[in-house]
Amino acid sequence: MVFSSITFLFYFLPVTLAIYYIVPNKFKNLVLLIASFIFYYFGEPTYVLLMAFSILSTYVFGILIDKNKKTQYAKVWLILALIVSIGLLVCFKYMNFIIENINLWLKHKIDFINVALPIGISFYTFQMISYLIDVYRGQAKVQKNILKLAMYVSLFPQLIAGPIVRYTTIENEIENRTHTMEKFAQGIRRFIIGLAKKVLIANVLGELCTTFLKTNEISVLYEWIYAISAMLQIYFDFSGYSDMAIGLGKMFGFEFLENFNYPYIAKSITDFWRRWHISLSSWFRDYVYIPLGGNRTSKIKWLRNIMIVWLLTGLWHGAAWNFIIWGLYFGILLIIEKLFLSKYLEKIPKVFTHIYVLILVMISFIIFNGESVNQIVTNITSLVGIGNISLTTPESIYYFKSYFIPIVIGIIGATPILKNIANTEKYKKIINILEPITLLVLFIISTSYIIDGSFNPFLYFRF
Amino acid sequence: MQEKAKNKIIIIGFALILFLFFMINLIKEDEQISITERRKLAQFPKITFETLSSGKFSQNFENYAIDQFVGRDSFRTLKAVWSNYVFKQKDNNGLFLLNNSIYKIEYPLNNGNIQNSAKKINNVCQKYLKGMDVYFSIIPDKTYYLKEDYLSIEPSEVEEIIKNSVEDMEYIDITNSLKLEDYYKTDLHWKQENLKNVVSKIEEKMNLENTSNISYETRQIGNFYGAYYGQLGRKVSPDKLNILSNKVIEDCTTYNYETKKTGKVYDEEKFKSSSDKYDIYLSGAAALIQVENPNAKTEKELILFRDSFGSSLAPLLLENYKKITLVDLRYINSNILGNYINFENQDVLFLYSITVLNQNILK
Repeated sequence: MVFSSITFLFYFLPVTLAIYYIVPNKFKNLVLLIASFIFYYFGEPTYVLLMAFSILSTYVFGILIDKNKKTQYAKVWLILALIVSIGLLVCFKYMNFIIENINLWLKHKIDFINVALPIGISFYTFQMISYLIDVYRGQAKVQKNILKLAMYVSLFPQLIAGPIVRYTTIENEIENRTHTMEKFAQGIRRFIIGLAKKVLIANVLGELCTTFLKTNEISVLYEWIYAISAMLQIYFDFSGYSDMAIGLGKMFGFEFLENFNYPYIAKSITDFWRRWHISLSSWFRDYVYIPLGGNRTSKIKWLRNIMIVWLLTGLWHGAAWNFIIWGLYFGILLIIEKLFLSKYLEKIPKVFTHIYVLILVMISFIIFNGESVNQIVTNITSLVGIGNISLTTPESIYYFKSYFIPIVIGIIGATPILKNIANTEKYKKIINILEPITLLVLFIISTSYIIDGSFNPFLYFRF
Repeated sequence: MQEKAKNKIIIIGFALILFLFFMINLIKEDEQISITERRKLAQFPKITFETLSSGKFSQNFENYAIDQFVGRDSFRTLKAVWSNYVFKQKDNNGLFLLNNSIYKIEYPLNNGNIQNSAKKINNVCQKYLKGMDVYFSIIPDKTYYLKEDYLSIEPSEVEEIIKNSVEDMEYIDITNSLKLEDYYKTDLHWKQENLKNVVSKIEEKMNLENTSNISYETRQIGNFYGAYYGQLGRKVSPDKLNILSNKVIEDCTTYNYETKKTGKVYDEEKFKSSSDKYDIYLSGAAALIQVENPNAKTEKELILFRDSFGSSLAPLLLENYKKITLVDLRYINSNILGNYINFENQDVLFLYSITVLNQNILK
């Protein structure tokens, strides 16, 4: 089930909220667990069992690691546990990609396996790994109640698309959490803002990107509109989802960590990755980069560690070469910054550092969205008019005009301008009045966009 | 204090929206069809082991929830208004409102689809029409006549592609015989009462007798909310639907090969009962219809390969023909046409709108 659906908003959510707040505290976790499984089942009926199996194995391995604490067996159990979780991820996410690439070298081709990617597997696998490693390191207490562990892994607000909530973040809240009106209202606010980001900006710009990818009238203007829209779409889609997750978490008493912090105002690529998908980059930092030695090692190993982390970050996003290239692209940029560029970036005027970051990130998303190397190269070179393409076409001018306002709203929304205005003391009074109205209007408008999404005009050509 | 009051309003407002719509949707009786969108609405999905385990149930449930959402039409209007006035988008799902008329963007030209359409036409020519007089004409989409910078397909580009694929057809250019006002405001079709110039052009090119001095009685049948009206979801005043009639047309009989029913050129019953009022012309969509003119002063016959636009034009060609056979290649495979039509030396006219040619839907 996705948050931006009628099933979720007007069936699942009211029923779950009502039951959750009616039952006594001791049953609240159970209600969330059942609701989360129903939530997952609605999107992924068959793989619900896979998730259940993963939870079971994590539970058993967690206990085994804990029981053998301070002996060498703890490490053995941890390694076995990692083999199982990562093994499942490889099987379901990467196997066909591996086969495809092995087949390039083989005479007798291996058949592809018939599996679809289970939704959310990359997220929940990483959560389970963080739990197991934290138990091994003694940073988290082992969870002896399987229902509570299952609730943590499957918790529907963050199950499908993050943030990757670590066990240690909500360890105490699983046992005992408070529900206040303030928290609930904050939750609603975050949820509606996230929903509007997804439905009113990301989806609308998504239409533009789809139209662009179908066109045969390429122009410099169109390429720029596409590149900027794609960049905004991915940010609003993903951060909107995180906002909704954090908001829902609050409604049910949880405090998840922030996942985005206005990445497009970053002053360097290093800064960008401190602001973009924070839960993923910090996961790689804590569970891969630092265990490999981080930067407290020889220069060669340090560089190797960076490249390994970014190769994996790329791969995590999907089983395809463009994601690998995308990850390595950032690895190389970060190395360049760390080795010498950062000191220059600090000295030049801010406006240039912003342009530097935005252009490189924009190119990264062209790679991210690219379907072939050829297409990626064409998209990038067309931005500067290489390849004998015209500056504008009627189509590009039309779409430029048609999507101008959503793009401008997107650009403003990607900066903290609105947030700063809302937090200004002298506007407090008027904001207090406007805020509830704005939120409820956005909720209704987003609903109308979802309802119209089914717009499926009767094919008039019957007649 | 103010903070607390604000939080209260947010919670109460959100909860009200959530629970009210949940309750109303639960209680409200499901509807079968949407009159404005002219389609069947999704019904509560079947619960079987197969649908539950394949994920079909959840997809169907979402379709159902969206289709049956209380106030669906108002929500769609709200979206259209927001997209138009707040986002200042030039179109909403490809449709836009300009000077009280609704348009739909038919763009870009799909080269492959036009070629496929041309191939289908060529098949018919090769199989049945060798040595016969064959004409073709393209009906521009009404956006073509907009002065503004809206996207539209150039009829000449379509003509070029078709000419390159089909030999021995004479092209009749009707683009200059039409104006924006000749199309309905709320529909994609042309108005029958404005087709005089088109008819004259066709008669001239096909060496037919000029009928511009024939008088017709224009009868206003009623209000007409066209297909675009429901799709756009905005309030626009309706068109008036008129028909041109005279004794020749009134005496003609139609025969539908599929339903094996005979009838009249204008089917006023359909105007009352059908959700698409344009069905008044030749009773609506049909694969194969024959119209016979008992008052004809000639033995000539016409085979008209056409889409829906042809239904309103055909009556105005009856003065020149004893029989007109209308073939809609979207509903009948050209390979079996020989079973129904005896191709001899009839006149042949392919008359298709760009919207149809630009899709790959001819059989």
